[in-house]
Amino acid sequence: MPDTIRILLADDHNVLRDGLRLLLERQPGFTVVAEAAGGREAVDLAEEHAPDVVVMDIAMPGMNGIEAARRIVDNRPNIGVVILSMHYDESYVLRSLKAGARAYLMKDSLKADVIEAIRAVAQGNSFFSPRISRILQEDYIQALAARNEEDSYELLTEREREILQLAAEGRTNKEIANLLNLSLYTVDTHRTHILQKLNLHSVAELILYSVRKGIIS
Amino acid sequence: MVAGFGGLLFLMALSAVGSLFLLRGLRSGDAGLQAHFLSRSQTLEQIRSAIYLSGTFARDYLLAPAPDGSIAQRSALTALRKESESSLQTYARSLGPEEVKPFHALEKQIEDYWQVLDRTFRWGPAERAKFEYAFFYDELVPRRTSMLQIADRIAELNELSLKRGNEQLGQRFGRLQSILGLVDGLTFLSGALLAAFTIHYLLRLEAEASRRLSESVAAKASLRELSAKLLRAQEDERRSLSRELHDEAAQKFSAILMEAENLLDLGPGEPVRARLECVRAQARIGLDEIRNMALLLRPSMLDDFGLVPALNWQGREIARRTGLRVQVAAGELADELPEEHRTCIYRVVQEALNNCSRHARASTVQVAIRAESNQIHLSIQDDGSGFDPQRVRGLGLLGMEERVRHLGGSFDVDSHPGLGTTLKVKLPLATLTEIAVHA
Repeated sequence: MPDTIRILLADDHNVLRDGLRLLLERQPGFTVVAEAAGGREAVDLAEEHAPDVVVMDIAMPGMNGIEAARRIVDNRPNIGVVILSMHYDESYVLRSLKAGARAYLMKDSLKADVIEAIRAVAQGNSFFSPRISRILQEDYIQALAARNEEDSYELLTEREREILQLAAEGRTNKEIANLLNLSLYTVDTHRTHILQKLNLHSVAELILYSVRKGIIS
Repeated sequence: MVAGFGGLLFLMALSAVGSLFLLRGLRSGDAGLQAHFLSRSQTLEQIRSAIYLSGTFARDYLLAPAPDGSIAQRSALTALRKESESSLQTYARSLGPEEVKPFHALEKQIEDYWQVLDRTFRWGPAERAKFEYAFFYDELVPRRTSMLQIADRIAELNELSLKRGNEQLGQRFGRLQSILGLVDGLTFLSGALLAAFTIHYLLRLEAEASRRLSESVAAKASLRELSAKLLRAQEDERRSLSRELHDEAAQKFSAILMEAENLLDLGPGEPVRARLECVRAQARIGLDEIRNMALLLRPSMLDDFGLVPALNWQGREIARRTGLRVQVAAGELADELPEEHRTCIYRVVQEALNNCSRHARASTVQVAIRAESNQIHLSIQDDGSGFDPQRVRGLGLLGMEERVRHLGGSFDVDSHPGLGTTLKVKLPLATLTEIAVHA
């Protein structure tokens, strides 16, 4: 983890951006390197400043935050994107994750959550507002009940559950292999089985699933 | 019109009855005339034959050699006299105006004749021998001849009166003919008039009916257009309100929250911290309320991501609020629909889900959308209490149907009390490609 976390703020509301900047700059080890008022500007400034973290709203004129996150992560996969949004519906969360964002916060989040989310993504991990986690979990339980389905989590072995959690936290296969003393090939096979058993198709869905299940928060 | 037809029928009946009556009158008039003529001719004939016979008897009486031999002739003459007098009386009962004078002359002559004959009955043999031939030829024969002449004249007059009667009958018949002709003509004319009037009236009615039909069709079309416009305007209004709430009002609350955090971060003393936490809590509540209001007006997913995420959200919301289990099954195409179709399906599903949670006492609802070659099929099926669609037409069904019809679709409700409800909507995709081309 770098000594100082360099942050890019992207939000079209100046008052909010100013407030956020004030809040973050008072934190030791945080520095705001640039501010953008739109998605396109955020993409350009991320390219120019190469920050560690981008904190970004979804609803912005010109280019929305999800599309901007996709381009930023495409250009620089090391940048951790934190979505700070008014929306709490899973369609926004899932699309943000698919676009490459690693943290999703509600705009009514407490200061502590914002700071924790920035630290988490700077380390390559995920973070979700407790409220988002709770809503996603409730919805998931409802959806299972509506489909009269058993929770497929029960199908996973102990080892697979372990790997699912590490993967959802954002660790690479190599990191997982080192942590668990397994071969890279074995971890890869486990991962494939997990996705099959849970009927998931991408890391984004895997993360969303883990949040819904309360495996990560 | 009724009066016209009634009048026509009355006229026809009147003319038929009238002609029957007149014809009967004519026939009886004719028969009476003939009978009258015959009886008078007969009476005249009797008078004439009495006069002839009297001449013969008078001559025989006068020429009889002995007075005794003349007694039979005398009584025969008396009988003749009575007979002729009674015939005269019979004839006198039916005298025509022209016959009065000659008839009185005849009466007088006959009376004189009998007087003269009477005198001869009192003659003695000497007088009879003295007068017999001369009296007969000079006195009786001319009298008889003139009487017969008068009788002939009366017969002529009688014939004349028959002829006149016949002529009168002919005239009456002619009059009847012309009356019948007139009535027929009148009937035909009024019939033709009535027919013309009726045709005119019917044509006017027909024109009026077709004008009203086209008016009501036009009115219906413009009403439909208006309601489509209203729906669009309402949707636009909702969209802009929702966006305004979301992007402006909510962001202000976010800013207040952020500033509260900032102030709390500065480490204020206890009373200030408590007030600030109160501000923060109120701002969070306000933010939630605004967000919910915006979503209820029009969920942002509908415009941001499309129909399926919006329907999924709607299902989750209903589930969270009411415990109703909602399953949404939709293919990928559902996200590529034009705006109007997306809105239509979303609003129909929203209304249906509201009905399910409010009225149907359902526990599970299945929403399915699938696309076929040129149609979108939407079905919403619940396991609730159901209703009789023939009798219940509230529940926002009309509004749903209206939305579907605007897009040229069909809307069916299949529901029975106790057996749940299935709404089926078909939206044509032909308009969809057209819209896509125009867009």
